[in-house]
Amino acid sequence: MRTFLPAVAEQLFRDIQKIYEETTQIPDDLLIALKFVFGTCALQALDLVDQRSVTCLSSPSGRKAFQVIGGSGRLYTCFLSCHYCPCPAFTYTVLRRNQGLLCKHILAVYLCQAMAVTQQESVSDQQMSAVLSGTEGP
Amino acid sequence: MTDILTLVFRTLSSQTGQNKDPSAGPPSPAPRSSALVVGEHRLSRSVLLLAAVTAASELGVRVAFFAQTQIQSLPECLQRCSATQNPEGLKKITFSYPRTLEELLQQVASLHESPCPPSLIIIDRLDGFLRGAVAGSHLGFHSGDESRAAHLAALLCDTAAFLTEVLEKRGSSSAPCRSIASFLSDADSSGQESRDTSATDPILDVLDRYFQARCTLDQDRSYEAAAAAAQEAWHVYLSGTKIPDDREEDPALAQEWKLLVFPEGLMEFKLV
Repeated sequence: MRTFLPAVAEQLFRDIQKIYEETTQIPDDLLIALKFVFGTCALQALDLVDQRSVTCLSSPSGRKAFQVIGGSGRLYTCFLSCHYCPCPAFTYTVLRRNQGLLCKHILAVYLCQAMAVTQQESVSDQQMSAVLSGTEGP
Repeated sequence: MTDILTLVFRTLSSQTGQNKDPSAGPPSPAPRSSALVVGEHRLSRSVLLLAAVTAASELGVRVAFFAQTQIQSLPECLQRCSATQNPEGLKKITFSYPRTLEELLQQVASLHESPCPPSLIIIDRLDGFLRGAVAGSHLGFHSGDESRAAHLAALLCDTAAFLTEVLEKRGSSSAPCRSIASFLSDADSSGQESRDTSATDPILDVLDRYFQARCTLDQDRSYEAAAAAAQEAWHVYLSGTKIPDDREEDPALAQEWKLLVFPEGLMEFKLV
């Protein structure tokens, strides 16, 4: 995901990717760094990663988007190139209060990508358009 | 997008010695691919149309122009300039008139399905789409509007990023895909006298997260217009956030132009 994360966050994900490739584990020091940088949503995001909640949708045109199954079972669509999530936490904490970089769903996407545990799913171009616009059916 | 805007301003400039060559003069910051035009609707729509026609005619790029209300005619200055005398160029602009935010989201989201995707996406009056999304919205923006604004802006940003990849893979000279939108905050629409300059518009704050540059249109209410035999005088400020393409020695994106609008509709830009 090409975004404007702080350099420390980008380095953290690179470190997690490297160590996870070698050991399939995230050591305590990186977990502590994750919590330090992202706050309380770090542990919630790790739960989502453990539950394999992140899916990368792709369509024949090459378009991609991420879908995350939240704790309540609701599906959230996030984009590749910028931070957006329809969840209340993103709206309140990130957009309105400017007190966080991102929500647990977007963080889970970053972590799944770094750990290469993102599920993959193909959809049609029309289905992708519906997902992106938020008009897909339940 | 800021490169297209600068080209528009230079094209409509009559300053002695000033030319359209963007490489002339002091080094410029890296162009930003997305810009938000903030200011009065009539003028911001003219700026968007100028950008569309300039991009289509002079750069030969495909343009997707979205607006809620139909465009009845081009601004007077465009009708007289050489760009509009190239009908082939104008055919590259596709006008769409979604009536609601939902329709706009669907149309922008489906741009990836097009075999000939645009290289410039323009949305006129974001505030109209966002305000219209809530019943009783004549009272202004409501809670939930931040999320809708973020969704639309993020979709626009992500779509432009994807189309840039498509254009680059095809080896097209039209890359990157740029985007520009216009917005008028509630504070600005209620008139200058009632504006609290210390208050910020929460929707504008959200939009600023997704646009790399802002083009602010601020009317000059001094005697400058009258002195120049013009009908209106405006300050046009082009400013931008830092982007990864910026080198350390690059100057910050901060340009100021003066715009004079004459009674017959002609527009003249002047770099300050």
